[in-house]
Amino acid sequence: MSEKLQYVGNPNSKAADGIEKVLGAAKYVGDMTLPDMLYAKLLTSPVPHARIVELDIKPALAVEGVKAVITADDFVDHGFFGWPVKDMYVLAYQKVRYVGDPIAVVAAESEAAAAAGVAAIKLKLEELPVVSDMHKALDPHAALVPLEPQIGDGNLLVTHVVRNGDPEPILAECDVVVDESYNFQAQEHGYIETEGVFAIPEPGGTVVVFANDQSPHINRDNAAGMLGLPAEAVRVIQPPVGGSFGGKDDHVYQFTGQAAKLALITGRPVRLVLSREESLATSYKRAAAHAHLKIGMSKDGVIRAAKTEYLADSGAYASQTPLSAWRASMHLAGAYRYEAATVDTKAVYTNNGYAGAFRGFGNTQAAAASEVAIDELAARIGMDPIEFRLKNCLRTGDKAFTGNTIDHEAGLAQCLEWVRDQSGWADKRKTLGFKSGDDVLKGIGVACYFHGSGLGGEGTDYARITLTVERDHSVTLQSGLTDYGQGSRTVFTLIAAETLGVTPERIIMLRPDTDTALETGPTVASRASIVGGNATKVTAGKLIQKLNMAAADLLGCSLEQITRHGEDFIGPNEEPLAIEAVIDHAFAMGLQMSSQGYWQIPVIHWDFEKGTGTPYYTYSFGAQVAQVEVVKATGKIQVTGVWASHDGGKIIFPKGAHGQLMGGITQGLGYALTEGFSYKDGYPQKKNLKDYHLPTSLDVPEMETHFVETNLAEGPFGAKNLAEPVMIAIAPAIANAVFHATTVRCRDFPISADWLKAQLA
Amino acid sequence: MEVTFKLNGEMVTCPVTQKLTLMRLLRDDLKLTGTKNGCEHGDCGACSVIVDGKLEKSCIYPARNLDGKEVLTIEGVSNPDGTPGDLQQAFLDAGATQCGYCTPGMIMAGEALLLQNNNPTRQDIREAISENLCRCTGYQQIVDAIQATAKSRLNGGAK
Ligand code: FES
Ligand code: FES
Repeated sequence: MSEKLQYVGNPNSKAADGIEKVLGAAKYVGDMTLPDMLYAKLLTSPVPHARIVELDIKPALAVEGVKAVITADDFVDHGFFGWPVKDMYVLAYQKVRYVGDPIAVVAAESEAAAAAGVAAIKLKLEELPVVSDMHKALDPHAALVPLEPQIGDGNLLVTHVVRNGDPEPILAECDVVVDESYNFQAQEHGYIETEGVFAIPEPGGTVVVFANDQSPHINRDNAAGMLGLPAEAVRVIQPPVGGSFGGKDDHVYQFTGQAAKLALITGRPVRLVLSREESLATSYKRAAAHAHLKIGMSKDGVIRAAKTEYLADSGAYASQTPLSAWRASMHLAGAYRYEAATVDTKAVYTNNGYAGAFRGFGNTQAAAASEVAIDELAARIGMDPIEFRLKNCLRTGDKAFTGNTIDHEAGLAQCLEWVRDQSGWADKRKTLGFKSGDDVLKGIGVACYFHGSGLGGEGTDYARITLTVERDHSVTLQSGLTDYGQGSRTVFTLIAAETLGVTPERIIMLRPDTDTALETGPTVASRASIVGGNATKVTAGKLIQKLNMAAADLLGCSLEQITRHGEDFIGPNEEPLAIEAVIDHAFAMGLQMSSQGYWQIPVIHWDFEKGTGTPYYTYSFGAQVAQVEVVKATGKIQVTGVWASHDGGKIIFPKGAHGQLMGGITQGLGYALTEGFSYKDGYPQKKNLKDYHLPTSLDVPEMETHFVETNLAEGPFGAKNLAEPVMIAIAPAIANAVFHATTVRCRDFPISADWLKAQLA
Repeated sequence: MEVTFKLNGEMVTCPVTQKLTLMRLLRDDLKLTGTKNGCEHGDCGACSVIVDGKLEKSCIYPARNLDGKEVLTIEGVSNPDGTPGDLQQAFLDAGATQCGYCTPGMIMAGEALLLQNNNPTRQDIREAISENLCRCTGYQQIVDAIQATAKSRLNGGAK
């Protein structure tokens, strides 16, 4: 980059909205109250699969304090919604399909009255056979989970393929072939703030909803549709969100529709905030999955071909599984060169909760499977795992296993080299490692990844931003892209400040609000920095033209003669003009001091039928090393060191980026060791945060993090995506470290301590 | 039933019931919503406050036991002029807050530790915050913030 940057990439830049948070003054949904408000509570399904025989709300209405009770019958088309597959209802219709499926909602004067109302509802269910094993979901005799088959074949939800040559004859020739299966349990997002909405009716039959969702415009459109209102009659505002990681969309859309309806019926504000138990049961998860990988190579360690299969358990509803299963398919053979590779993916319905978006979005499972398999290949010929990866990994100009060329600068090799050098890899591979006499076994392992940027073949990838200069000389920034903790508010602020040549303090980013922010597409796939960042840059570029015009008018010079020094505008006679004076003059000139900008990722094409094409326009890359200790007597794994390097292009908000990296690693560490959200015959086995163990400060070691700043011409100042991919390498790195420590190969996640103990006995 | 206690330096008297928790008293009755609800079962630490110098999870602390006690919440940690206190500022400087939902509880856990140990090691800090869950940060920048504050207080910094 030739530009000299002041705020972008400055290690001292701070979170734009951090002050209210450290003061405890930030108002999350559950912190909002209004004098006349009602409290809403859900009735949810106690069983995995049943027909609703009777649902009588009259007894609930008779409970003192209860003001309204709603069911699917209160909505247009029973509140049918969903994208990309329409298969969900705002409240269960005809059937319940998982334990926790919402059936009815009560609004009452107090939480206690609402709970009494829920208890009074007369519900009669006729239980149906339960589909709980994804491998049996397509059996001809399996019960049908959706009301109608989705794509003409029982519980089949979607299929995806990759076809890049024919791996079979090459595999037959290969000296070494690894042919193994890898299994993954579901994972809970574990945001510390549970889901919540607060709906406020307005005169004239419209409603305002504060919702801790990720994509307010999609939420508004769904709610308006199910309420039978025009989109303008529903206004969704996003307050600060206490964590999401992909996890606060579909079911928050349900709650939004429910609370809005209750507010409209009662004419009073209605707040619905889930308890932790309700949240764990009702929310969608990372899909449980099964991967089968057959990868072959020559005896000197050149990877040649892969034939792979992937099965995802979407649970009761589709949610985002069709897309996350696609992303899994696009990454399943890993970040390596192949002569030929195929993928065959299926996603199926079962009665196990349901699966949706979660940081990593399918690549979490795909990368864990392929990175353990790659480690197995290296071990088979006794080659160092990092050397083996460096020998085969994708570099600029190589072709990915999906057949497309890596056009942009790829920093994967640099990431691998950094974690190798920084972790003391060479030494530790020798000094650590399995020693049969030891009670505590020690090892070190590596994994790496590539991760397609943005939505790719999943949809049109664009953002719109509005920047407005206010009369008090501040600049407001508006976007429908949201910040649920990942720092995009700060990223946009820094980019706008940089482009406009003003201090970040001058920029105020308004809360996402469907009434005032332009439709921006969903905030998913770590895309906010790239598309939102670019749109911000484009918009700021337009706005600065107007400021320059005012400055030139005031200084009586041409536009080209204007230069900048800090916030000041400098004319040909080098007299500095304060930005306040320029802004005042712009208003005096009657200039419209607001600009809108749009940016879209260059269009790429993937042929879903043929399984060929370009899935993403670019990739980010990374490598992580984990060091572990395994207690032989218990099988307990302690991670004692982590080194992580990520190629995310230009890093805009370094403090936030390091935090994203470490937070992602911590989620991945939980995925590796404790976070299995398992089901038995469709019944969830974990009910609260005592059962479901999120990593604590004692489970996570001190981490060393690093960014390789490759250049990406299309990124804002060269930025690629960050928030998601950083979580996906740590689970396989831990598994590979455990192999080094114990010689036991872990292929099922999370790695059970009891299982490991048995292997070591 | 009524209890009288000191809350962030001021005496308050509140009606309480047998079942009322300190978290509900703070959030619902006194509208001090800086103390967060993450589970209401003592599993997450989002509701942490300091009672008589000790870290407590307010969601499982009976309000009826408050008589004569001294309670400090996140609202009592900032400077008198409303600007962030030194530990709060350290959280900002270290990048220790992302979604911010665990932040008030973490800051209270940090304050409680520093009341008892003015020169903690990183491991001491990790132990002190080990019942406070954070899903966003991976804890390291939180440890940085508490450690930096301990150092600056030892060197005669604010507080
Ligand atoms: S809310 Fe008190 S410990 Fe979770
Ligand atoms: S900052 Fe989000 S839970 Fe800690």
